[in-house]
Amino acid sequence: MSGASSSVGPEQDLADVDRVLAGDAQAFEGIVRRWQGPLVNMAWRYCRDRGRAEEMAQDALVRAWRGLAGWRRESSFSTWLFALAANVYRSELKRFPTVTLNLDEISEPGRAATQHESLSEEQSRGAVRRAVLALPMKYREPVILFYFHEMDLAAAARTMSLPEGTMKARLSRARAILRSRFPHLEEHGIGENSEDNSAAGIMGREAGR
Amino acid sequence: MSSNMKPNLEIDPLDRILAGDEELIPTSGFLGSVMDRVREEASAPPPIPFPWKRAIPGIALAAGVFGWGGVELVRSIGQWLGSITITEPHLSAAAMHTIEPAGLVTLALAVAWGSWLFSRRLVGRVELL
Repeated sequence: MSGASSSVGPEQDLADVDRVLAGDAQAFEGIVRRWQGPLVNMAWRYCRDRGRAEEMAQDALVRAWRGLAGWRRESSFSTWLFALAANVYRSELKRFPTVTLNLDEISEPGRAATQHESLSEEQSRGAVRRAVLALPMKYREPVILFYFHEMDLAAAARTMSLPEGTMKARLSRARAILRSRFPHLEEHGIGENSEDNSAAGIMGREAGR
Repeated sequence: MSSNMKPNLEIDPLDRILAGDEELIPTSGFLGSVMDRVREEASAPPPIPFPWKRAIPGIALAAGVFGWGGVELVRSIGQWLGSITITEPHLSAAAMHTIEPAGLVTLALAVAWGSWLFSRRLVGRVELL
């Protein structure tokens, strides 16, 4: 699990929010306990720095505490919390950007020179993740949130407060950029018989329109 | 299309890499740090409300002074403009013939410069594209 979901139902969040709004600050601990994991993991995907991820998640939770009365309950608590956290992370990274390479400087690891398959896989993972961080924020964030929400496009779009169509278009563009940097991934895995529910197939068709 | 696209991890290596991210567990002090900050904020005295009742007379006075000053300024500028007489310079037909295209060239240069700045801004925004 990537960590976008909490282990308890929304009723618990609702009850804790009501208690906090009634003046019981300690009730916020339940909210922190349930959402600390998802928020730290989400921040980690934005910055790839553990210490900074915790600081950013802490800021997001404190901001949530301050703005709890502003949650209108039209959307679920998690939607509101993730949207708020995404805003906090985006602002933070605008103020202090992560140190990233230029996308052109990130090359695909050579397969022939690597004897161990596991090492090759690890190198590919590292390179792809660095490439995601090197994407312009407009494309980086849809990629981060799409995979954070376990490839749920609607949830990712809600977190960014964007229409699903816009989200899909940005994601498609981001994937096209990543594929152009990693042609080997294409060769080794993506065939013509991709299933309908594969993000690659859907986004690939979307990009081709 | 279903909005909820589940990963087909057998097929797409990009999805496999991006979806198969390691999961972090927050450090043991994380919860305590957040709650310390929350308790600190909860125990802080509420912010002092702005004293509107006391401030309103001062704001009204300042608005009056600035308004009066603005009216006087506009009036004096109007008088000053009225006293100026503009005389057209006597230029020969040859000089006018040179100046007119120069104006057009200057305008074209300004437009080109503006569009260059705009395109640079656009490129800067999308960086790699």
